[in-house]
Amino acid sequence: MSEDSSPFMLALTRRLGGFFGLILPRRAAALANKEVHHILRDPYTLGMSIGLPVMMLLLFGEAISFDVKDVKVSIQDEDNSTDSRLLVDTIRGSGYFVVSPSKGNPEEELSTERAKAVVVIPAGFQREVGRGEVPEAQLLVDGSDNATAGVVGGYMAGVAGVAWQHILARESPPAPNAPITFVTQFLFNKELNSRWFMIPGLLVIIIGLLAVLMTALTVAREWEFGSMEMLLCTPARPLDIILGKVAPYVGMGLLAVAMVYGAGRVIFDVPFRGSILLLLLGSLLFLFVSLSQGLLISVATRNQQVAFQMSMMSGMLPTMLLSGFIFPVESMPIGFRIFTSILPPRWFMVISRGLFLKGAGPLELAVPFLVLALMCFLFVYFAVKSFKTDLEP
Amino acid sequence: MNWRMLLAFSKKELVQTLRDRRMRSLLLLAPVIQLTLFGLALHNEVRNIRLAVYAAPSDTLAWDLGRRAAGTGWFLLKTDVDRNPFEALSSGQVDAALVAPPGGLTQAVGRGQGRIQLLVDGTNTTRAQGVVQYMDAIRMDVIQERVMNGAPFAPALRMDTRMLYNPTLESKYFMVPGVLAMLLLMVTLTLTSSSITREKELGTFETLLAAPITPGTILLGKALPYIILGLLDLPLILCVSYFIFSVPLRGPIWELYVASMAFIGCTVALGILLSTAAQNQQQAMMGSFLTLYPCQMLSGIIYPLDNMPKWLYWITYFNPLRYFAVLIRNILLKGGAPALFWPNVGALALLATVLLLVAWKRFKPTLN
Repeated sequence: MSEDSSPFMLALTRRLGGFFGLILPRRAAALANKEVHHILRDPYTLGMSIGLPVMMLLLFGEAISFDVKDVKVSIQDEDNSTDSRLLVDTIRGSGYFVVSPSKGNPEEELSTERAKAVVVIPAGFQREVGRGEVPEAQLLVDGSDNATAGVVGGYMAGVAGVAWQHILARESPPAPNAPITFVTQFLFNKELNSRWFMIPGLLVIIIGLLAVLMTALTVAREWEFGSMEMLLCTPARPLDIILGKVAPYVGMGLLAVAMVYGAGRVIFDVPFRGSILLLLLGSLLFLFVSLSQGLLISVATRNQQVAFQMSMMSGMLPTMLLSGFIFPVESMPIGFRIFTSILPPRWFMVISRGLFLKGAGPLELAVPFLVLALMCFLFVYFAVKSFKTDLEP
Repeated sequence: MNWRMLLAFSKKELVQTLRDRRMRSLLLLAPVIQLTLFGLALHNEVRNIRLAVYAAPSDTLAWDLGRRAAGTGWFLLKTDVDRNPFEALSSGQVDAALVAPPGGLTQAVGRGQGRIQLLVDGTNTTRAQGVVQYMDAIRMDVIQERVMNGAPFAPALRMDTRMLYNPTLESKYFMVPGVLAMLLLMVTLTLTSSSITREKELGTFETLLAAPITPGTILLGKALPYIILGLLDLPLILCVSYFIFSVPLRGPIWELYVASMAFIGCTVALGILLSTAAQNQQQAMMGSFLTLYPCQMLSGIIYPLDNMPKWLYWITYFNPLRYFAVLIRNILLKGGAPALFWPNVGALALLATVLLLVAWKRFKPTLN
């Protein structure tokens, strides 16, 4: 106890101890106190609970965007005429592409990733325009990234239309307007700002990962060190041990929620249209679910290494990939849409996005709230059940 | 370097890891199951868009837009929805709504100003963009067939488009190799990061120090078994990718093995480096988690690299997963062009060497 006996630390833990005493049964409060000591003593745990949200906010807020722009395109202009150069200039001026002249075989440009797409303007391009025919240019797209390839194809079709107008304008009046047009309006996110989409989702990801990971390790550690035997000798019942383990991490999780919320509102200008009380309630529920999921893992495995692998497999990848954070649940095959309903983050995702962007009320969010509450009960129940008080697994 | 010692030490490490039944299944079964799951579930194209049409039953053009949308397979036409389109969107009944002008679209087109409102839920930005793109294509079809009666509307410069390597633009071709690379990193890094700290925590590190074995041998002995285990995982997950998802293998298989060897060498070295820095297993695991996460995000597997700011783009050059993602997609889908293969494998080999050297320098075979 040499490092954490500074007056500040002592005062802090005493305060927290008093706080836990108010909300928890006596034995659970004592255990919670002990856990706080563990956390404060270990700079890594604290660093992680602050470092992870900051890192994720920085990356997702500043660096990652799904806009397809500055696509590398190489152009092979075999005609080299006024009209073909007009097409090249239109592609360059569109703002979507970074244009460079082709250095040879178009397929090689793509296979070596010097370009994502190659435009080949065949010789005789201008002659065809002069004869009143519709000329044709060839577009080769790297399809291995299917999403980008689709968008590039769409952009190019638009650019070709504009270029055609320019080419025609050299000789005759512009073509008539389209007989049907859309007046498009985006609801809830008028300018399709992708941060408004990412930040509420990030809240889910950060809580989910931190919570599962940390609790999964703490109980497994007690088993490995043998200190669990001592805990079991004390009059604390399994529920006390579980509550005492979970409570300090609920506090840390709420801190992360506050950080993401604050950064989202202040730095990234994400609107918050729902009730803050509902967000708090939802966060608490989700925190409890994730923490008890971690507990269940560590109770079941009793080995830090296995617990870590399990929580990565059951926590990290499904949270990232199947919660609807990036890949929409609606696009999944029907079986998986049903499967995702057993994942807690998928439900909190609905709550978080609904509250931030849509201003959803308690009635619209009733289903996700009920599901989370049910999961919370089940996880804690099974953790207590499988928390055998015997020493040998 | 004593080769027999190294071999014996590696063997001990291998036995220790494979002894645990759960560890065996995590190593061999979990990656296979995960790749199958994610390959089946993940699509980055926009599907099942719920669309409602708000128009009089006699407004044939507006309904034609909706029916054609449903016919493409991307949209689901919803009829039983709230009478107010804004209400239907905010309660989540639909993702998009077409609202015909008063008097109907058919009449408006007759007057020469066919404007119809398209309301889109903007909560998911990529999805919203997809909706607009699809609807625009459908609009052009309707114009051509219904308004111009088959005569092409305003002849335009034609782009004869060909999608190489993935002609039907299936997302599994893109996702499966990416997830495969991610899984390989995850398994090898988490295993090795706790390998030395575990010995420290359990007290067996002292026994190791007392044994007549050099630090270099300890490090190599720790690295070798995990490289072997990683290389065992590779054919397993490749089978899943090839037989279940029919993702092609167009490049030579030796390229795949050389690339994987360089990559796993990198990840194992990284894990051992983490493990020398950590005091206990918890720290080691958090360290590996904090490494794993940025590695995945800055690899170009899910999030495009080209959009990143310059400073961050430079950081990605230190990310082994970035090179491996390029390599594996290139070998599987494009046939492994040497111009792309050698620089990336070289970068991986260089990274692995540097990481292993740093780990060796940092590794202090003392008790405190």
